[in-house]
Amino acid sequence: MELTDEITLKAPLAKVYAALNDPEVLQQCIPGCEELIQHSATDLEAKVVLKVGPVKARFSGTVQLDVSGAPEAFSLTGQGNGGAAGHAKGGAHVTLQERDGKTVLRYEAKAEIGGKLAQLGSRLIQSTAKKLASKFFLKFAEIVDQDVSASLDA
Amino acid sequence: MNDLTPNREERTANLKGMGCARKRVEDARFTQGQGNYVDDVKLPGMLHGDFVRSPYAHARVKSINKEAALALPGVVAVLTAEDLAPLNLHWMPTLAGDKQMVLADGKVLFQGQEVAFVVANDRYIAADAVELVEVDYEELPVITDPFEALQSDVVLREDLAGQTEGAHGPRKHHNHIFTWEQGDEAATNQVMDSAEVVAEESMYYHRTHPCPLETCGSVASMDKVNGKLTLWGTFQAPHVVRTVAALLSGIEEHNIRVISPDIGGGFGNKVGVYPGYICSIVASIVTGKPVKWVEDRMENLMSTAFARDYWMKGKISATKEGKITGLHCHVTADHGGFDACADPTKFPAGFMNICTGSYDIPVAYLGVDGVYTNKAPGGVSYRCSFRVTEAVYFIERMIEVLAIELDMDAAELRRINFIKKEQFPYTAALGWEYDSGDYHTAWDKALKTVDYEGLRAEQAERVEAFKRGETRKLMGVGLSFFTEIVGAGPVKNCDILGMGMFDSCEIRIHPTGSAIARLGTISQGQGHATTFAQILASEIGISADSITIEEGDTDTAPYGLGTYGSRSTPVAGAATALAGRKIRAKAQMIAAYLLEVHDDDVEFDVDRFVVKGAPERFSTMKDIAYAAYNQAIPGLEPGLEAVSYYDPPNMTYPFGAYVCVMDIDVDTGVPEIRRFYALDDCGTRINPMIIEGQVHGGLTEALAVALGQEIAYDDLGNVKTGTLMDFFLPTAWEVPNYETDFTVTPSPHHPIGAKGVGESPHVGGVPCFSNAVQDAFRAFGLRHTNMPHDHWRIWQTANKLGLHD
Repeated sequence: MELTDEITLKAPLAKVYAALNDPEVLQQCIPGCEELIQHSATDLEAKVVLKVGPVKARFSGTVQLDVSGAPEAFSLTGQGNGGAAGHAKGGAHVTLQERDGKTVLRYEAKAEIGGKLAQLGSRLIQSTAKKLASKFFLKFAEIVDQDVSASLDA
Repeated sequence: MNDLTPNREERTANLKGMGCARKRVEDARFTQGQGNYVDDVKLPGMLHGDFVRSPYAHARVKSINKEAALALPGVVAVLTAEDLAPLNLHWMPTLAGDKQMVLADGKVLFQGQEVAFVVANDRYIAADAVELVEVDYEELPVITDPFEALQSDVVLREDLAGQTEGAHGPRKHHNHIFTWEQGDEAATNQVMDSAEVVAEESMYYHRTHPCPLETCGSVASMDKVNGKLTLWGTFQAPHVVRTVAALLSGIEEHNIRVISPDIGGGFGNKVGVYPGYICSIVASIVTGKPVKWVEDRMENLMSTAFARDYWMKGKISATKEGKITGLHCHVTADHGGFDACADPTKFPAGFMNICTGSYDIPVAYLGVDGVYTNKAPGGVSYRCSFRVTEAVYFIERMIEVLAIELDMDAAELRRINFIKKEQFPYTAALGWEYDSGDYHTAWDKALKTVDYEGLRAEQAERVEAFKRGETRKLMGVGLSFFTEIVGAGPVKNCDILGMGMFDSCEIRIHPTGSAIARLGTISQGQGHATTFAQILASEIGISADSITIEEGDTDTAPYGLGTYGSRSTPVAGAATALAGRKIRAKAQMIAAYLLEVHDDDVEFDVDRFVVKGAPERFSTMKDIAYAAYNQAIPGLEPGLEAVSYYDPPNMTYPFGAYVCVMDIDVDTGVPEIRRFYALDDCGTRINPMIIEGQVHGGLTEALAVALGQEIAYDDLGNVKTGTLMDFFLPTAWEVPNYETDFTVTPSPHHPIGAKGVGESPHVGGVPCFSNAVQDAFRAFGLRHTNMPHDHWRIWQTANKLGLHD
């Protein structure tokens, strides 16, 4: 499964990059995220409750960041296990570009899913992933843009 | 005789014997919801089992943590391979001479493999506990392609490491199972090299699944007081299960009672022995309580036996006039993680060597390589005799491809190559002796009925109209002529795990002239209780309505090898007729005594014995039955009972001619079946109505397989068709109206000349539907495209041929 999209955020690049690296912000944005622990600058651990069609499960997983291209670009790879519900692994490449004080965020994500999730959800997985991604960025935009608005107000 | 005595015709009609379209006696309970299936078995204190299954297609099992599951109230036990190992039941033998893990022993080889068995006092608690078992897997590289498997360094079966010899000879590679060769390859190649015309084609007969409406399941009840194990289950071969259970468990066979209650369809899916059966038995022994295991639909589709998955490469040679001179076939057979094919022991690729079909082919060769992959084990005969569907599909496609090569009409090509009536019994190049047949008569009748020439003319017109842009629908005329090979034994050739494939019938006539007959087979919807009573009625002169047929309880039924491969009528049906004749022989002596004449002076007449030349002096079977029990007859034991164990001298060879007319919308890929004509010759016809029902059912499953039903895997070994959302089961919406017809060519060696019919329509139907799709595109250059022909694939075919430009 592959997913690509582009969104424009009102906040400047540095702010967006910082937010993307802030576990608290991420936890608020990731749909169903119950827990996000940062073990190091590049290693995170997450617990996420996910529902795809008839399958609902708690996934526990790890995420590794590659920040060598920061702050304009970074990559992440991760894997999650939902026990009887199945498992997933994948990665995303994110690029940030500043344009007129705003930030254009592009991402290309790839994922492989397995287990019951793949069997039952094959028809639903792409649309579910899109929905989850849009939920994430809606919330993310809300947070970073709110910060921008707040700082402008101040 | 006075006028009130029914005449001979009336008496025959009253018997409801062979040839009568008798209504199915089982339907009274089925249509009223009164069937009794495995899941209807409910015993006091019964526990429920459920499997933890692998989400991975290939992985090492590093650890299994049962604690959270065991802590859930209501959970009684969680079994793993470690628990079964001391009993030596963590692995079990397969029907194909391989062994299979009952529960994952260190690694898993396919998605859905059984890893742990949770036992709880409630089905829902068991399901909840399954989610609480923590299994730590380490992913391994997945191989779902048999050709890749034969090249790969990845060893799937580490337990077989270093073993260069398998159950069926040498293994060429660590993922190779066997090579099976039949015929003369050198001679075949020689013919090919000098042939005027050679057509080659590769085809994939996709993996599919029998998908009976009732999934597999069992209830095991170990009575620790009397030491008896009772096992109810969805078994197509209950006696075999009892013997295997005795050998595996060490429980003496007389202490095991296996019961197949009503079975909601089998189609081959219920021939094998599954981990669920073993686990329910072990769990019952461990807990001392009855344990039920019933799989759900997803489990059924992804873990219990699949069918087909044959990659077939063919070469057929002929003269310029179309006379076939040779056939070469090589199969790469994907058997999944364990070789659990359900074939007679000496036939690792079943009867694939019937692939010369209905044609007089002087020389042929078949080679089959079995291969391990990370897919579910199985390889059962889904509504066909062992691998006969694959064989018939292969030859019926090769004929079409040869017709294209020769630019010849495919019906004519078949006609000039049929084995002729006078050639029977006919020994084929690959060894089988066809018992009887009259192919030309059947073929001509079929073509005439459908106005074959008219169809071809219409098709040609349609092609022109399509080219002129006046229509977007193409017309396909699908042909198939098949010969099945059913009714295994004989015992000298055919056994399963060393158990000879005979079958049996035991009859008891009651004093008032009714009867019970028990058989070694088990109906899964075929209507045995109806048809076997009809055979007996004709043989012993007691009305079918007065005969109870019982099967499936190993404590009462005589030993038999069960129902699959259309063997019930050819084998158990013969045993029934012969047991009936033993009854009749004794009845004749009793009649002679009652009529005070010599044995030779009485003759059987429908429902009685009459004195020869004096039909007014008779003794009915009712009189005879009463006398058998209540009159002291000098020189005769009291009672009227008989048993027959029948080892068939040969198999039977039913055949048929099918024609399918189809209109295909090239823009949507939707095929519309305009007409389907099925002529079946199953020898003597016992019940025409049941035959018609069997033909309808078999054709519908053929339609399913040809037009969309498949078990598909992605590259990671995920089963992509694990639910009925994705796995195609046709409904009334997709199923056309079928026209059935027949000819009668009795089997010369079968006591009543019957050949078996339950699977013929599936065997002949699949190539017929497929040929119809392919024929629609023949005028545009299509030579072969693989099944299943779902709308998307048909659209792609049209697209590739440039029909959307």
